[in-house]
Amino acid sequence: MPTVEAIPIELGRLLGAIFGVAIIAGLMGLAQMISARAADRRLVQTGYPPRTLLATRLAALGGVTVVVAAVNYGVLWLTISPEAPVLTFVFLVLAGLVYAFLGALVGALLPRLFEGSLVVVFLAMMDAFLSGDSPLAADIPEFVEYFPLYHPKELLQEAMFQGTYTTGDLGFVAGYLLVLLVLVTVVFGVTMRTSGGWSA
Amino acid sequence: MNRTTTAFSIGIKEQARNYVLVALLVVLPVSFITLAFAVTQDVEMPVRTLVDGETATVMRGMPEVHGVIMTPITSALIAGLAGLFLMREAKDTDGRLAVAGYRAWQVIAARFGVLAAITLIVTGVSVGVMLVDFQPEYLWWFVAAMLVVSVTYGLIGMLVGAVFNRLAGMWLMLILPMLDIGLFQDPLFIQSEPDWWMKLFPGYWPVRVMVDTGLTTDVDTALSLVWATGYLLLVAVLAIGVYYRATQAS
Repeated sequence: MPTVEAIPIELGRLLGAIFGVAIIAGLMGLAQMISARAADRRLVQTGYPPRTLLATRLAALGGVTVVVAAVNYGVLWLTISPEAPVLTFVFLVLAGLVYAFLGALVGALLPRLFEGSLVVVFLAMMDAFLSGDSPLAADIPEFVEYFPLYHPKELLQEAMFQGTYTTGDLGFVAGYLLVLLVLVTVVFGVTMRTSGGWSA
Repeated sequence: MNRTTTAFSIGIKEQARNYVLVALLVVLPVSFITLAFAVTQDVEMPVRTLVDGETATVMRGMPEVHGVIMTPITSALIAGLAGLFLMREAKDTDGRLAVAGYRAWQVIAARFGVLAAITLIVTGVSVGVMLVDFQPEYLWWFVAAMLVVSVTYGLIGMLVGAVFNRLAGMWLMLILPMLDIGLFQDPLFIQSEPDWWMKLFPGYWPVRVMVDTGLTTDVDTALSLVWATGYLLLVAVLAIGVYYRATQAS
């Protein structure tokens, strides 16, 4: 039987960084939606358009994600010099945004912190493990490429080690973000509905 | 029915009515552990453990090693979060039970009973799922270590819940078991003598027992299980003290 000695350290660090950004951003998205839910409903009743509220929540979430990505990038940069530093940072932010929106979606659908956090955490752990090209894993099913971190990880890995990126991966991530945004908007609209649907 | 039983059964009913939580307690370990076994490469890797009382490196299949680590991570994560959220709920409500005439030990017994029940379910499901793919050499030693690490993490969750708010507590209870069991005690990452500070983590003694009794044909870590139980008792005393203060203050 073949043997393995250890995980390649640089790949391990990259996976750690992307997982760190994803899980923190995902939980921030979850907590943001849950903690603001009651206040947002009252604001909607006083006439605030739900879309405006959602936009402010997601903008705040985006800002936090950039900070989280910056911290993770800083830690990564201490041990690895990326071939394309700016691209690496941007792709780390993208990975965070995907999970921030995913967390927000879970928070809108399942507005309980305990249960929602279990969903986000286990999803992120499975996603990072399966999408990560880890030497631990083999026989990865093809549907893994539709997992949230698969393409961000491909982008990050390429930018980090080769200084390039593949447009197809970037398009996939942009599409993923768009779909999540639409879903969050719809679910948020439904949960904020008072009596007559969207106000204003 | 005495007061403790009443409070305990109400606590259990409260959790059982939460269908989403019940489903997650079952679905998450099933999907997570099964997936870990399904996709882990079928290769051998070196594992540092005790053999005949001496530290030695043996070669074992990576799926088995991965299973030995993923099972306690799953259980510790869920038990830790359950402890955290139970404590947060307790801080809000249990002071009122004291006003209604409950003695402190009655409320403590009921709450800790609920945590124990959740931990038992999570441990049972996790080990049950693991058994589909992997049979430890000494099942009951393995289960004992699983219970100790899960209850310890459940109680640590309660301690964290007494000190931190939900969000900060949640971060801590997610990061702690992942770093402890998934990194510092994982034979895949730590292949030499662990640093002294890694041995201070709650997973050190129980995972030693799990690696030994799961992957080798002799039980060399009975003393480690004693240390793990001592660690658990220490955390339990702390958790009871902190719980008493937290509910008194509210």
